[in-house]
Amino acid sequence: MSQVSLTVNGKAVSVDVEDRTLLSSVLRENLGLTGTHIGCDTSQCGACTVHLDGRVVKSCTVLAVQAAGSDVMTIEGLAPSHDPSGATLHPVQQAFSECHALQCGFCTPGMIMAVTGLLKDTPDPDEQQIIHGLEGNLCRCTGYVNIVKAVKQAASALRA
Amino acid sequence: MTFSRLEDRRLVTGAGRYVSDWNFPGQLHAAFLRADRAHARIVSINTEAARAMPGVRVVLTAADTAAAGFRSLPCAAPIPGKGGSALLKPERPVLAGDVVRFVGECVACVVAETAIAAQDAVEAIIVEYEDLPVAMTAEAAVAPGAPQLHPGIPGNVAIEFETGDPAAVAAAFEGAAHVVSLDLHNQRVVGSPMEPKGCLARHDASTGDYFVHVCTQGTTGMRAQLVATTGVPDEHVHIVAEDVGGGFGLRFNAYPEYSAIMLAARLAGAPVRWVASRSEVFLSDEHARGVTSRGEVALDAEGHFLAFRFNFLNDMGAYIAPTGPVVAVLSIRACLAGVYRVPAAVANVRLALTNSVPMAAYRGAGRPVISYMIERLVDQAATDLGIDPVELRRRNLIPTAAMPWKTVNGLGYDSGDFPAVLDKALGLSDWNGFSARRAEAGARGMLRGIGIATFIESTGGGASPDEVEARFGDHGEITIHAVSHSHGQSHETAYAELLASVLGLPRERFRLRNGDPGVRLAGNPTGGSRTMHGVGSALRVLADDIIAKGRELAARALEAASADIEFDNGVFRIAGTDRSVSLDALIERHAAGPERVFDTRSSARTGSTFPNGCHVAEVEIDPATGVVSIERYTAVDDAGNLLNPTIVAGQMHGAIVQGAGQVLGEHAIYDLETGQFLTGSFMDYAMPKAVNVHGLTIADHPVPTPTNLLGVKGVGEAGVTGSLPALMNAILAALRPVGVTHFDMPATPARVWGAVGAARAGDGRRFAHA
Repeated sequence: MSQVSLTVNGKAVSVDVEDRTLLSSVLRENLGLTGTHIGCDTSQCGACTVHLDGRVVKSCTVLAVQAAGSDVMTIEGLAPSHDPSGATLHPVQQAFSECHALQCGFCTPGMIMAVTGLLKDTPDPDEQQIIHGLEGNLCRCTGYVNIVKAVKQAASALRA
Repeated sequence: MTFSRLEDRRLVTGAGRYVSDWNFPGQLHAAFLRADRAHARIVSINTEAARAMPGVRVVLTAADTAAAGFRSLPCAAPIPGKGGSALLKPERPVLAGDVVRFVGECVACVVAETAIAAQDAVEAIIVEYEDLPVAMTAEAAVAPGAPQLHPGIPGNVAIEFETGDPAAVAAAFEGAAHVVSLDLHNQRVVGSPMEPKGCLARHDASTGDYFVHVCTQGTTGMRAQLVATTGVPDEHVHIVAEDVGGGFGLRFNAYPEYSAIMLAARLAGAPVRWVASRSEVFLSDEHARGVTSRGEVALDAEGHFLAFRFNFLNDMGAYIAPTGPVVAVLSIRACLAGVYRVPAAVANVRLALTNSVPMAAYRGAGRPVISYMIERLVDQAATDLGIDPVELRRRNLIPTAAMPWKTVNGLGYDSGDFPAVLDKALGLSDWNGFSARRAEAGARGMLRGIGIATFIESTGGGASPDEVEARFGDHGEITIHAVSHSHGQSHETAYAELLASVLGLPRERFRLRNGDPGVRLAGNPTGGSRTMHGVGSALRVLADDIIAKGRELAARALEAASADIEFDNGVFRIAGTDRSVSLDALIERHAAGPERVFDTRSSARTGSTFPNGCHVAEVEIDPATGVVSIERYTAVDDAGNLLNPTIVAGQMHGAIVQGAGQVLGEHAIYDLETGQFLTGSFMDYAMPKAVNVHGLTIADHPVPTPTNLLGVKGVGEAGVTGSLPALMNAILAALRPVGVTHFDMPATPARVWGAVGAARAGDGRRFAHA
């Protein structure tokens, strides 16, 4: 067992976990942040995507002990990071809704976290960069058509 | 107006509640031991070590499910077999006790304090097996001398269906100027919703009630199957379903795990949660398609179709899933001759049992099997006879003036305008400009092909009427209850917009509950693209019933005869006067009283609808790599009236790309000798990605159906029903010039590259299944 202290969505937390515990499990089971979803066990689907010290990671591929001392942002922290009152959505969340880029919504938190990271690194992506940026996230409902549209809309909203 | 759905806010903020998101005090966790071989007799199961492991509370095997009185999982045939024969039903246990019949079948269930402890204990269970020979394909299973999977099912054929007139077809073939035949394999795929399936059961020992949180497409079917399997009385089984991460047909049935979790919760005296890993999903979710088929068409000298003859051999897996026979036969029967005027047709469908995961519905559920057969056969006939594929279709389409149309096997299409749909698709796809695009691609060394599919499908009629209920809350909110579950189909928004438009109230007043254990309604799970014509019609009746109540109250308030009261845009008015009262005001005055006068339950019963379309696909193939790229895709669909075009387009996108997934890469593969599953992760199973699709154009040509109150047809599955044949016809069109004469899905780079090479060496059929 190890004690792991980290910051999640701006809040300091400390958990006791078995060494083999994944960051995704800590977020979901220990901290109750169930917006981070688990859709596979081979790091293919990206439903568990979060930001770790500002970088996009799949939280099913990070041991909790590796995240000790780090700053984690999950989907629950995204809107408040943009508007501390939580009244408005982050532009990526807004774009996903307005472009009908989600149907069942299960892949959506991971998609949004991945896209937010993509747009931080590449504020004005072309179609190829968007497609490449979505490579690590699977969606079964939308055929990606409206997700690509949402990325473009979010990009221009964030640049404005 | 900016688009948004009522369900979006919670889903984009991570506040959705999927099965694995539920937690209850004292909750335990389950894991399953699964068969590691495809066919074997169980000699012994030793759970002693597992029971002694830390944190383990319950270990279940077949002895425990037998003690609990569990019965076989249910199955049935929707229509009688050939000559009135009945379905030979295999016994399907919740936990295998005597024989395992596919890799991944559940053998034992462990409940422990943590999921990890449960998994550790599963690995400590020792099962001694005696291996049996395997039959991994339908062809192998029906061959003489094949291993027999079940007692009482000789030759592994559970039933044979026939629809149409074989004698008339034989006569037509006798007199035909041309006969064209084609063997096709529609490969096994895994539906793969993004949420892995799961189940959380709570048992209340004082009342005997079970609350089962589960991934479901609708509570009625799920509950009925759990009742049939566990023997727990219906009134004690309560299905809870909030958000569900995709259905696509494979969440209609109650998986055996769910019954085991119910028993585990009772024996443990605590809530028990089980969530499948993706590996388990691949090994135990129902798979789909897996159909080997032969089609023949007889034509006269002018290229008119005289008869179709189809033979389908379906791989059903090791057991018959409850919806398996429905999927295998109903779509073929409903749309036997597609959009064509054909004097005679017959189809024969045999259901074979193999040592693999049971097969059931996946988006399209048989529709993409018959459409793929017909449309590839028509293209083959065009090629063999040297007739333009569009011209051959045009020559044989059912004329618009002939609607309603009685189909060749005595069923019917109510409406449609197939020639206009075809023309619109040809125009939007710039069909006539293709040769220039092919020449341009050829100059770059690329093979370019264009393919077309004109198709029709039948949407689900429903096993029962659809009931809906409106409950008016104390704060103005109106809660709508319905059975048909929303897991991506946007029912929350679509229902609210429909009611809002009829009642003249803002859509935000409505909230949807479709997995609420406190409200029991008759109705059908989501499936068969039927919700908007089934539940939608019931909602229309509901709105009218609410208006009727309002009219009586308005008459009283305005001191007028109710016959003199008009209703328009949310306002009741005495005709010809300015004296009025709004529905909203009446709701505020009356809804919250003890009598709950506005609370209303309504229902509707609708039959099938017949969405149809014409899809045109254009692909480019790099012969050096075998990579297929979809360059343009045009879909023109008649889905009747569209209530929310953005939602409809989203359904089309998703279904078209699911078809593209099957065409370009998805393939569930078992090792033919060992029965091991070889494509058990997203590393091995090629899901479609954003890179696969470019240039999607979605358009509609609505012909409202007279068969329901809204004039809507189904839309959930048309995309895949069209995209499978359209894309493969395009790929064949690209490959024929290099000598490929036949090719079966999937068109992976390796297979396409191999086919091009083999064709250049003189073998144009190397990558055909048969």
